[in-house]
Amino acid sequence: MTQLNNTTEVVRDPPAPRSFSKAFWDATREKRLLLQYDPRNKKYQFIPRPTSIYDGRRQLEWREASGRGEIFSFLIASHANPPFRGHTPFAIALVTLEEGVNIMANIVNCELDKVRIGLPVKLSWLALANGANLPTFEPLD
Amino acid sequence: MYQKDAVIVGYAETKIVDKSDRDIWELSAEILEKVIIQTGIEKDEIDGLVLSSSMTAAGSVFWSQTNADMLGLDLKFTQTVDIGGCAPLGSVARAVMAVNAGLCTNVLCLFSDTQATEDNRRVRAFQQEWTNSLGYMGPPAAFGFITRRYEHQFGLDYAALGKLAVAQRNHAILNDMAVEKLRKPITVDDYLNSRMIADPIRLLDCVMVCDGASGVLVTSRKNAERKGFSKIVVPIGYGERTNFRASEAIIDITDTGHRAAGEAALSQAGVKLSDFGSFHPYDDFIIAIVMQLEMLGFCKPGQGCDYVRERSFSFDGDLPLNTGGGQISAGQCGLAGGGTNLVEAVRQMFGEAGSRQVSDTKTALVTGIGGIPYGRNWATSAVMALTANG
Repeated sequence: MTQLNNTTEVVRDPPAPRSFSKAFWDATREKRLLLQYDPRNKKYQFIPRPTSIYDGRRQLEWREASGRGEIFSFLIASHANPPFRGHTPFAIALVTLEEGVNIMANIVNCELDKVRIGLPVKLSWLALANGANLPTFEPLD
Repeated sequence: MYQKDAVIVGYAETKIVDKSDRDIWELSAEILEKVIIQTGIEKDEIDGLVLSSSMTAAGSVFWSQTNADMLGLDLKFTQTVDIGGCAPLGSVARAVMAVNAGLCTNVLCLFSDTQATEDNRRVRAFQQEWTNSLGYMGPPAAFGFITRRYEHQFGLDYAALGKLAVAQRNHAILNDMAVEKLRKPITVDDYLNSRMIADPIRLLDCVMVCDGASGVLVTSRKNAERKGFSKIVVPIGYGERTNFRASEAIIDITDTGHRAAGEAALSQAGVKLSDFGSFHPYDDFIIAIVMQLEMLGFCKPGQGCDYVRERSFSFDGDLPLNTGGGQISAGQCGLAGGGTNLVEAVRQMFGEAGSRQVSDTKTALVTGIGGIPYGRNWATSAVMALTANG
């Protein structure tokens, strides 16, 4: 069985938050995954935006996600540019969270043959140099 | 929108090369000169310039004006269109609007990029914050998601994708303007065995970034008649859709803006899909061709591979497709690449395609794909229906 590379050794540049996404990255320092929630339309959205994608009103709440979801689609990188070169094969997936949004993340602690659309996954974290954390997902069981 | 009173009377392109030793403005000057010679419309008569964006131009916030200066054009209307691979079709659509609005008469639509040699881009989008830290490699990753999801929903016959790759390659071999590196025959097995880039995306699914330029000259129908052009191509329908289904957090990524843009273009044009003598779909990845066949209505969603298996896409086949090789086999001239398939459609309708000439030159369908958003399919879908001497 080929194990996917967890890419924990990759030195990533920490993302630079924008004024409207800072709350997301701040919460990752406490390993909490926050999503924007539109209370008028009772729906979540991701990536964070400066306005609701549902009605163009700016009033949005931050709510913590359960961290459970399933793989919506994925690819296996067998070729990568720095800083990921030499860390293949690794997986990038779109994960559908229980809250009804798709988030893109690396899949870790998983065998290559196990990755499939529909695979139940749970949140895990990968430390970044600035104290923030990057959300990753791993198989639920 | 379409009064059908603006027409294409000329086209030009440079040789596509993997690295240009000539500056982007020299390529643009070649297009200008070729169009002047072909149409007899002199430089001083050209009063409109619409440019596609380009990776070389990225960061140049005065791009339209700088090009006007470099080419010595005195203009009544100029604009750079920034909808990625849809920019060339979008440029023609905007040139038509400008002519119909009476703002100008002769518009050079100019598509130049030297991305391979001089990529000046600094993208301000989601990538730095949301995807760079994942090892996401841009378009091949985006199309990896799309392909895998398509396969999950419908099943996917990779040999059918290979058949499209081979059909386009055979056309590039017949096209002197295609990049030389790709003018070699391939087989379906070569496609299937080409190395994985972002599994399930293979090397032969992808475009190769090249340098080159193309363009068309749009004029008013009245002017075309006054000058007595015997060959004209008329844009008779155009549809453009950006950020399709924007108000949904999760969309079916096999459902694209071409569904809506195609309906708009075809209803304006008043023609049926079966009327088109050739089809020139935007091809950044092979699967995009299958998805466009489905979204435009050549077949139902999920039946694209069956459709491909049952037909010949050769210039002398059932549905001549990207008869110049498409971008995948002729080379992708950066953000100007959408011009390659457009110019090929016009060339075919002028009856000037030589050894790859299609027999039915009455109508052609050309499309665009532009921009890669976060976790969806693509940002802009464009569809243009063309008719000859309409």
